[in-house]
Amino acid sequence: MAVKAGYGLLRRIARLLALYARMDLLLLTRDPLMTAGWAITDLVINLASVSGLLLLAQRFAGIGTWSRPSFVFMLGYASLVEGLVATLFGYNVSHISRRIGRGQLDHSLLQPQPLWIVLLTEGFSPAFGAPALLPGTLLLIWGWRMLPQAPWAAFRSMGHGCGALAWSGLFVLDMASSVVVVMAFQYGWGSLAFWSPRASEELNTSTHDLLSTLKSFPLNAMSPILRFGLLSIIPAGFVGWAPVAGLLQIGHIWFLITPAAALISAAAAAIVFKAGLKHYGKTGSQRYSAFGHRS
Amino acid sequence: MAKQDPKGTALSDIAVELSAVSKTFHQRQRNEQLSGILRNLLRPEFKSIPALSGLSLAINRGEILAYAGANGAGKSTTVKLCCGMLAPDSGEVRVLGMNPLSDRLKCVSRIGVVFGQRTELWFDHPVSASFEWKRVVWDIPDDSYRVALKRMKDLLGLDEFFNTQARELSLGQRMRADLGLALVHDPEMLFLDEPTLGLDVLARRSILGFLKELNRTRGVTIIVTSHQTADLEELAGRIVLIHKGKLAFDGSFDALRKTCGDTRRLILEADAVTAPDMSAMGARLVSTEGRHHEYLFDASRNTIAEILSEAARQCAILDVETHRTDIDDVVADIYETWQRGQHPTGE
Repeated sequence: MAVKAGYGLLRRIARLLALYARMDLLLLTRDPLMTAGWAITDLVINLASVSGLLLLAQRFAGIGTWSRPSFVFMLGYASLVEGLVATLFGYNVSHISRRIGRGQLDHSLLQPQPLWIVLLTEGFSPAFGAPALLPGTLLLIWGWRMLPQAPWAAFRSMGHGCGALAWSGLFVLDMASSVVVVMAFQYGWGSLAFWSPRASEELNTSTHDLLSTLKSFPLNAMSPILRFGLLSIIPAGFVGWAPVAGLLQIGHIWFLITPAAALISAAAAAIVFKAGLKHYGKTGSQRYSAFGHRS
Repeated sequence: MAKQDPKGTALSDIAVELSAVSKTFHQRQRNEQLSGILRNLLRPEFKSIPALSGLSLAINRGEILAYAGANGAGKSTTVKLCCGMLAPDSGEVRVLGMNPLSDRLKCVSRIGVVFGQRTELWFDHPVSASFEWKRVVWDIPDDSYRVALKRMKDLLGLDEFFNTQARELSLGQRMRADLGLALVHDPEMLFLDEPTLGLDVLARRSILGFLKELNRTRGVTIIVTSHQTADLEELAGRIVLIHKGKLAFDGSFDALRKTCGDTRRLILEADAVTAPDMSAMGARLVSTEGRHHEYLFDASRNTIAEILSEAARQCAILDVETHRTDIDDVVADIYETWQRGQHPTGE
């Protein structure tokens, strides 16, 4: 019975994802000029966000204990996480403070789907998100190719094939965990819009920019207090540094630290969001921006 | 009136039931002075605004209910409570036998909602994409969807703009598309919050005609709020007026008129330019233009036959027109009475 219900749920989510992917493609292709403009702009923005540190790494053959290849790999990883967030949670799903602050959450509550399914699926935008995935993927491949040995070298004791498989699994798990950490950070802070819709409407723009700026810094050289801050209050360390240090075995980073952080931050964000939703049920929204509720 | 519930969950004839529902909002109070700013920071002051105060109301299945009240009376709050978008402070809301909050998913799958100032359409997509979105998200079986979509296209004339982007539609087209979208899953109830807001006469007539047809042929229960009381009268048989969150009137439009006296307008075309004096019959002369004389009288106190026989006694009558008072004027009078702190029904 539970298996059947689980299968039904997955089918429903897959149907919704396919729907939103089609709609995303429809939106992107409505005007060829706009399509090209959007793709180029997104590519430039994503490259610009990592270019400064990339040039530094090139000039000094690495940063601190990070060699040039491992640093490029980390930049690629962090950039890919950002691209995944844009692809999976577009249309203001990751910028939830906008939807709440603009009174647009009502549209989600009128759908006969649990709110978590609405938020999990409605932002799926593979067409608009693709340019955001490209710089990360390219940097990741470039860094990988420059690495002096295979990244799963630390897993060789399991045998070459098994080690590669285990490392790949961990890579996917870490990548998903980093995405969860980013989304939890966005929702944790974005939920403030339930209490102060006007003041907090654009809060997620700032939180997003904050993570985007800090994601590329290796934290080894930082003071323990600063490092703790960047692994807790502003969890930028889990967007690139911690997972890649674990994957490439740089320093003494526990390789499951990012999944653990994802669990904790997701639980904390869920508590804050639920409390906000309860408050929303009491007060409703006194504001509404009528320029299309998914933009 | 009794109907079999198609989904077999709620067998009651009551579609919506509000029992002693209260909802209060809190507004922060402040003034522009420096001392006020500091005081507000340390000890914020709030004013309680009761949107609904112990409101009890039952709406039957298959009924069209006009839900009216002045700005801030609590109309939209009631609609939001019924759609599970707000929780009541106290009391109970039941829609189709369900609690809209705890049974939100089941409830919203069986109702349709249209807010005149909001659109459910995807702004940057053609209208057709919003309908396809609705089909998937509401999980409407293909056969039912095809039939419902054809019906909506025929009744609302959606074909002419079905492939146009929602942001490029006129207000009337947008409302027709929104109505079609709200109904394509064949809901048992429809909540309409200001559906004719900003529409021209033709678009209003088209929407009202569609709603009446929908209620007649499909038995859909409709709750409609509007400030256009004439639209409400054309649509509904029953009107509920709320004032400061309380039920102020519940009955027919005729009964509503009678709460302010059954005032009628009489236009006489006489053979004389001097208007007959009918003040003794309670008819007040409003205007005279040539041989046309206009009077206002209370039909509950003097019948039209009595007044006409008095007029005929004074001069020869060539033609007669009578009009009931415009319902908008009746409601405006009632709102004015409320503002003066009185109640037209004497409560």
